[in-house]
Amino acid sequence: MLLSSDDAKAISEKIIAGSSADACVVKIDGGEDNSLRFARGGATTNITTSKARLRISSHIGGRVGAVTTTRLDDDALNAARARSEEIARMLPVDPDYVAPLGPQTYDASARYDEDASGFRLDALAAQAARVIAEGVRQGVDTFGCATGARRYSALATSNGLFAFERWSEIDLSATARNKTDTWSGWAGAHEFISARLDADSIARRACAKAAHDAEPVDLEPGDYTVILEPAAVAELAFWVMSAMDARAADEGRSFYARAGGGTKIGEKLFDEKLTIRVDPADPLAPEGGVGWEGVPHRARAFIDKGVVSALYRSRAWAQKTNAEAIPFAANFVVEGGDASLDDMIRSVKRGVLVTRFWYENMVDRKSLLLTGLTRDGNFLIENGRVSAPVRNMRFNQRLGELFGNIVALGKTERTWRAAGGGGAAAAPPMLAEKFHFSSKSSGV
Amino acid sequence: MAPTYAPVRDAPERATASGDRFALDRALLDSLADLALDGAKRGGARYADIRLGETLQEYAQAEDDRLEHFDERMSRGFGLRVLLDGSWGFYGARRLDPASIREGVQRALDNARAMRVIQPRAIELEQLPAHEAEWIMPMGVDPLSVSSREKSDLLLSICATARDNGADFCSASLSIAREERLFANSLGARIRQTRTRVHPSFTATAVDRAADRMASRESLVPARGAGWEYVTSARLLEEAATAGREARAKLTAKPVTAGDYDLVIDPTNLWLTIHETVGHSTELDRVLGWEANFAGTSFIKPAMLGNLRFGSELMTIVADRSQPGALATIGYDDDGAPAASAEFNIVEKGVLKNFQMALGQAHHIGLSASNGCAYADDPTSFPIQRMPNISLAPNPEKCTLDDLVTGVENGVYVVGAGSWSIDQQRDNFQFGGQLFYEIKNGRLGEMLRDVAYQGRTIPFWNSLDGLGDASTYHLDGTFTCGKAEPVQVAPVSHGSPPARFRNVRVLNTSPGA
Repeated sequence: MLLSSDDAKAISEKIIAGSSADACVVKIDGGEDNSLRFARGGATTNITTSKARLRISSHIGGRVGAVTTTRLDDDALNAARARSEEIARMLPVDPDYVAPLGPQTYDASARYDEDASGFRLDALAAQAARVIAEGVRQGVDTFGCATGARRYSALATSNGLFAFERWSEIDLSATARNKTDTWSGWAGAHEFISARLDADSIARRACAKAAHDAEPVDLEPGDYTVILEPAAVAELAFWVMSAMDARAADEGRSFYARAGGGTKIGEKLFDEKLTIRVDPADPLAPEGGVGWEGVPHRARAFIDKGVVSALYRSRAWAQKTNAEAIPFAANFVVEGGDASLDDMIRSVKRGVLVTRFWYENMVDRKSLLLTGLTRDGNFLIENGRVSAPVRNMRFNQRLGELFGNIVALGKTERTWRAAGGGGAAAAPPMLAEKFHFSSKSSGV
Repeated sequence: MAPTYAPVRDAPERATASGDRFALDRALLDSLADLALDGAKRGGARYADIRLGETLQEYAQAEDDRLEHFDERMSRGFGLRVLLDGSWGFYGARRLDPASIREGVQRALDNARAMRVIQPRAIELEQLPAHEAEWIMPMGVDPLSVSSREKSDLLLSICATARDNGADFCSASLSIAREERLFANSLGARIRQTRTRVHPSFTATAVDRAADRMASRESLVPARGAGWEYVTSARLLEEAATAGREARAKLTAKPVTAGDYDLVIDPTNLWLTIHETVGHSTELDRVLGWEANFAGTSFIKPAMLGNLRFGSELMTIVADRSQPGALATIGYDDDGAPAASAEFNIVEKGVLKNFQMALGQAHHIGLSASNGCAYADDPTSFPIQRMPNISLAPNPEKCTLDDLVTGVENGVYVVGAGSWSIDQQRDNFQFGGQLFYEIKNGRLGEMLRDVAYQGRTIPFWNSLDGLGDASTYHLDGTFTCGKAEPVQVAPVSHGSPPARFRNVRVLNTSPGA
């Protein structure tokens, strides 16, 4: 259900006008999604959904009660507002209470494509058809998902803030498996602007990676030189970024906590080639302008040439520590270098080229020890060339050590969605040393 | 295979308490279902079904001495699925009105037509049930009727208790969900169902700033399909006190030495291992490759049915939708198949016997009907194959936890679920836990830390050589198992007794190891 800025503002103002709370916050979000999945050359499931939801937070005496509803008629909204006030009155006072924000200035974020025609199922089916046709051409089975969406989010406070953002998303991911079911390849992309999605390129890359009939090589667990493709780098960078909470660091519960007290802001924890930044104006992976709690996203590096330069900080913790509130970022950019993927491969005597990772999970937050597996395109590099597919492996890797051992970076490119959060990321291919594979996997 | 129509009329289960009723406007839902199904038929659909309803949720979270969130959430909507010329089309919206239904019919039919370019083979359906029924989950006290003050006080008390007993920090949360659904299909099925689930949880954390160490201990109280009486009987404060002490003790526990050990795994940990290695690997949509682009496939092939030696003879894995208090318990699945069809052994005495199936899958392995394993996490979601409750049957012969430990010379006892990961074909896995104790010469010993175990599904289950009896059985589970694109989350329970596995690889996960 697509609301305009005017629609959202009118609804919010009506709720705020009727509020008897000390303060009131209204958040509305929704949109229309189209999505289809295909497997072995045929459609399996498809959806079109239209959704909207509205959340009312009522602030009374340092307490906040919230009600979310998907009904936008006046009776339902009045009932939700009254219920949120009723809840607030029953709750204990929050010792860290902060009042809602007033008016803010937000940076523009180019994430909306006016051309909505590309998002319907017929257009998505045409993209899937390209993948299927390429699979037939290269003699592999194809599987995938294509989605298109238009979304919006509005935020209004009784203190005078009103913000409205809309964005579009289109993505295509394709998995290909050889006919003997012994090898697979994958490629995918996620874009805010539909014209930037190259379905043919995705189809070619996924199918070419799967078109190997050679028996995969088995490697023994151990430390390896790796070349991680951009999707794999973005996956790992997501975990580095998601751990950057200031409160956890201040309280000693984080990789970013300094022994004995304090945080590691200002310390060089990674290779100087590593810079991760967030920017609403970035052309590759723009963050939205409106951050969590309404705090504006500003262009900033969280890791700058290996140095921790910022941590996320909620408004409540910012108030308590007399520091700047910095919203959590869903979208980020890992800055690249000038090496090409081919250059990197040529420079490796023996190593592993990794297409993407799967089922990562943090084993130890304090040391950023992450586990997971390679998937859909793991190749042995010998004497400067890709020599064979190599069976998938599990890794147990401390991310500080990985991103402290960067040998080279390639050109940053937009990747498929970043792990976990579903945000947008851009990352380069990365050559790194001493990546720890801990066991073999027969999974294809 | 043409759908068949076999009307069945079931008596509704008796409501026993407030909240145990179907509260939505029946006449409105019936009229909207009729409008949708009639429209789909007129549009040429060979088959159509619709799910309409409402989900009520509550989420409250406390951090140390403050309440971070108290949110109530209500969402309504419908999802219409049509089979037109051999292709599915689906439309869902968070609205319940005639205009939205009419739009939905057209969009669903349009979507089915759009699939023609990539639909080389017509989708086939097996026999379809057409029940008229009402199923209401039995419940004591409606958790949504309990005051927000009582809930927030409970969470703050949990945090205070954990901190009073050794934790430096504590986070506590409470999730409640109620689903009310009307399912109807073009063959005449009309099923009303209501179920409720609750999940109280917390994490106690201890920190040693000087040593730059931290340790956490998460609650072992599982999520359940139940009312408020489950929350109040769960001894949460008692467990918070224990967790606070254990979090503190973990800071100075003995680091495990990596190597191969015999493991005695508590049900509070083993449920997740069952879920990942058996639950997901026996989903027929994965076996057929339909999840290849996301959740993954399976190491199991259709031809292995009936002859794969999955585990030792002690291993019998039961699937069901009727276990009291379990999270996937319901009267009918989201294809309208009755719970009785989801009562089967997946593994019997170590041999693979069945796959889990939803509509449109069974004929791929030569069967005429699915077995009740469909679920849509919201009316606006396309129903897909999801797990019923999947559990390890207890040993029919007497066996206690002590009996299992007694048989171990050099091992580790693993309690509670921790970090987990498994490959896309459900073979190579790594699991952590909450608490670990060494076993030496048949006796439990000191607490260990930094433990994770690795293995491969088939060798692991074949190393099972000891199993607790019914008196040791424990039901655990999760609210949020993810699958499909777009991702859907499903609640599911897994029960098991403690079990003993021989020669399992154990890692030390500490930075210095």
